[in-house]
Amino acid sequence: MSKNTNIRLGVYLCDCEGKLDQSIDLNKVKAVIQSRADFEYIRIANLLCGTLEKEKIVQEIDKYSLNRLLIAGCTDPFIKRQFTVLAEENGINRYEVEFVNLLIPGKENTEGAVSIINEVLLQMQTRGAVVYEEIDVLPEVLVIGCGTEGAAAALAVSENQPVTVVDNDTFRDGISLIEGKKNITVKTGVKVVGLEGFPGNFLVRFLDNGKHAKQSFGAIIIALEAQPSFDPIKYNGVELGERILSLSQFVKNDRDYAGQKVTFILGQADQDSLLSYATALSNAIALQEKGADVSILYDDMKVSADELEQDYELARARGVNFLKYNGDLQILTTDVAATVRYWEPFLPQIEQIRLISDYLVLAEDYVPHPDTADLAVVLDVRTGPGGFFQEDNVHFLPVMSNREGIYFVGSCHGPIHGIELDKEVETAKAEVGRFASGNIRVPALQPQVTAEQCAVCLTCYRCCPHHAIEIVHDESLNNMYNSAARMNPLACRRCGTCAAECPGKAIQLPFYSDEEILQKVSKPPKLVAYACENSGTLAAEFAKSLQPELQENLQIVSVPCSGKIDALFLLKALEQGADGVLLLVCHKENCKYVWGNERADKRKEQVQRRLAEIGLEGDRVDIVHLAANQGNQFNASVRSMVDKINQLGSNPGKVIK
Amino acid sequence: MIVVENKSVEDILQMIAPYKKVLIAGCYGCVTVCLAGGEKEVGLLASQIRMARQKEGNPIEVLEQTVERQCDKEYLDKFQDNVREVEAVVSLACGIGIQYLAEIYGSVPVLPGVNTQFLGTNRDVGQWEEFCMACGECVLDKTGGICPIARCSKSLLNGPCGGSQDGKCEISKDVDCAWALIYDRLSALGQLDKMTEYIPAKNWHREKGPRKLVKEELTLERD
Ligand code: SF4
Ligand code: SF4
Ligand code: SF4
Ligand code: SF4
Repeated sequence: MSKNTNIRLGVYLCDCEGKLDQSIDLNKVKAVIQSRADFEYIRIANLLCGTLEKEKIVQEIDKYSLNRLLIAGCTDPFIKRQFTVLAEENGINRYEVEFVNLLIPGKENTEGAVSIINEVLLQMQTRGAVVYEEIDVLPEVLVIGCGTEGAAAALAVSENQPVTVVDNDTFRDGISLIEGKKNITVKTGVKVVGLEGFPGNFLVRFLDNGKHAKQSFGAIIIALEAQPSFDPIKYNGVELGERILSLSQFVKNDRDYAGQKVTFILGQADQDSLLSYATALSNAIALQEKGADVSILYDDMKVSADELEQDYELARARGVNFLKYNGDLQILTTDVAATVRYWEPFLPQIEQIRLISDYLVLAEDYVPHPDTADLAVVLDVRTGPGGFFQEDNVHFLPVMSNREGIYFVGSCHGPIHGIELDKEVETAKAEVGRFASGNIRVPALQPQVTAEQCAVCLTCYRCCPHHAIEIVHDESLNNMYNSAARMNPLACRRCGTCAAECPGKAIQLPFYSDEEILQKVSKPPKLVAYACENSGTLAAEFAKSLQPELQENLQIVSVPCSGKIDALFLLKALEQGADGVLLLVCHKENCKYVWGNERADKRKEQVQRRLAEIGLEGDRVDIVHLAANQGNQFNASVRSMVDKINQLGSNPGKVIK
Repeated sequence: MIVVENKSVEDILQMIAPYKKVLIAGCYGCVTVCLAGGEKEVGLLASQIRMARQKEGNPIEVLEQTVERQCDKEYLDKFQDNVREVEAVVSLACGIGIQYLAEIYGSVPVLPGVNTQFLGTNRDVGQWEEFCMACGECVLDKTGGICPIARCSKSLLNGPCGGSQDGKCEISKDVDCAWALIYDRLSALGQLDKMTEYIPAKNWHREKGPRKLVKEELTLERD
């Protein structure tokens, strides 16, 4: 950040549909500010969150070339988010937008409003501006995997930028779909063995038919397809054969089933995905239309995706039999027929039902492509349940990996069916589309390293969940190694984990520096809560509307991710006068930045140990995992912490009273 | 790298019990890399000490400072203003740094804040392993690049002993047998014949006393 000499500030005062009228005279506030502060534009609005207002603000941003906004009124988190989005869409960074709450109890008067607005104005005018960096990027996209899914991704992306598709195998279903197409290069017998660099400029190392090769790409799409795997144990040991086929065998053969009785069995395998359901339904419809007599035997018909429900309705309308079973089933085959015996859950009977068919089609499980584990290591992307790519974390859906510039499409991250695939392809296309123009403009908001304090210890490098850090060597770096860690602006997601782990305190995250955070707890109330902005901060705002008085003796310090909550922040809050400290973090496996909340857990343990070492109660520190909408949980946690503190009494270690 | 472990705060509190103002001296060298003595740890320890003493009703003033390396005089000089202010210094550098700091500032007690452990590697965040004991006569050429002195529990030069079991040392299931590692490495290198080569016993007798290294061609006459 550098000192900004060209601040063009817009100030908006909202009277919340007249709600503020009685207590605060906004005209007076406006007059006072106008007389003192330096700004480009000021306006009083009646209801800033209204739709028309937004259009008006957009016009004003343009007309007055505003580059900072101050919005005074309510600070409803939902409305705040609307304004930050609006600002970002109009070229103003979210960190250049400040909100002032005019509804603070006790300060709801004209003087109070003037004083808080002035305070924030001063901050905005003295601090440096967000600097933007123009970064050259490569538009070339690498797609790994040339099945039909990889081909679909390549076709979509190639509309706007060049694509290279590689596959270790020589025979893949997707090759014929894309070979010779404009903007697409296909290479087979090629394995990815190394990756260096950052989004926009990845250097990929290949083993190209046994020879080492390398090429640079802006972004990477992984499309290694899952493979069907028939497990006889799921069907009481039955073997596949003439009359018993796996679903994937069935899809591949082109026998004529007219006049034959065909039964699909679902629910014994592939229980966690919709792929078998979607495949069975579409094939059942086609078969029935061609004159076969089709049944689907299911325990739980899963149709919870776009268009699957329609397929189900259509299948029924075409005359496909849907038969529900319960628990185990037995399969017997003879030369002329295949029989299933099963329990019908709704008919109170003791006998099992016998269903005789000409052919049985059995759903199978899907397992990750055999290259998955190796490729995950090479690319440093994470895998999740079942060994598939992508962790079990809603923040990463649909196509994101833990690294910027690397995306998952299709069954590489678990079996998915056609409609989901189309959506993923569209999303991935949009993501890699950012690189198409060859140039990206990003705010340089990644952490900054002071070389003098960097011991090049690699701790940050190893702790970064997003592989966003490199160690650079440069004569200008003023330490004995002439080297220091550097965060890449395109790869960094600004979680702050690195800053909290650095043993040299060399790393500072803009807008969340140690100084700024410790300043907030320099004279803390009884209880300090370090809150993740994705959960704790929002839960706190919500909780305030439920029980405002609970927050009177509580200071909330927001951080972008709980991974930013330094052990030092906890000790310092206690040293400087708090009686207790809470960490408010996201639920397990739901951290937007992979493992920030796990790190926070560890730091809580560390600080409890450190307190025990000096004879202070570890209970003065606690961690709560919660979601943004759990205002009640927030209040309950604060109440129980306050009770605990009251029991323990005042913190005997506080140095500043 | 030199690997150290933090002393217990209890021990440190005892050492500084008589004092009302101390300096915690950090080092940006090895002890920062092994997460035990950099600016961060200096801050954490200082905070703990202040709170502990406050709680006893015996407050203490704690200064904090970290320099590039405590094993070089030029960097140690940076402590002078703070050292002058305090009654004692707790150094979080390795034993080398602590001693040199104590030597340079002879009039102030310098106390160890860490236990210096070994020369080792940092496999991952929070994991260190001993690799070398600075014996002065390296034999890694004969042992496939694995040190038998530092990594064999008995420092056997011609191993393994009879206690080697499934690649583990008899002292603990968690300790790899260095000689099993050496065997595997030599076999991967196609140098198994080196297993039969006898390595003569080292002369551990320190006839010249504490070691010193002087490179005459590099030393300057200074007066
Ligand atoms: S953690 Fe800190 S000291 Fe270590 S490499 Fe990163 S910036 Fe440097
Ligand atoms: S802020 Fe987070 S994403 Fe960025 S470099 Fe640090 S650890 Fe990595
Ligand atoms: S004083 Fe010790 S810890 Fe510090 S740099 Fe020197 S050898 Fe390493
Ligand atoms: S033999 Fe072992 S202890 Fe001796 S110098 Fe080599 S590595 Fe170090």
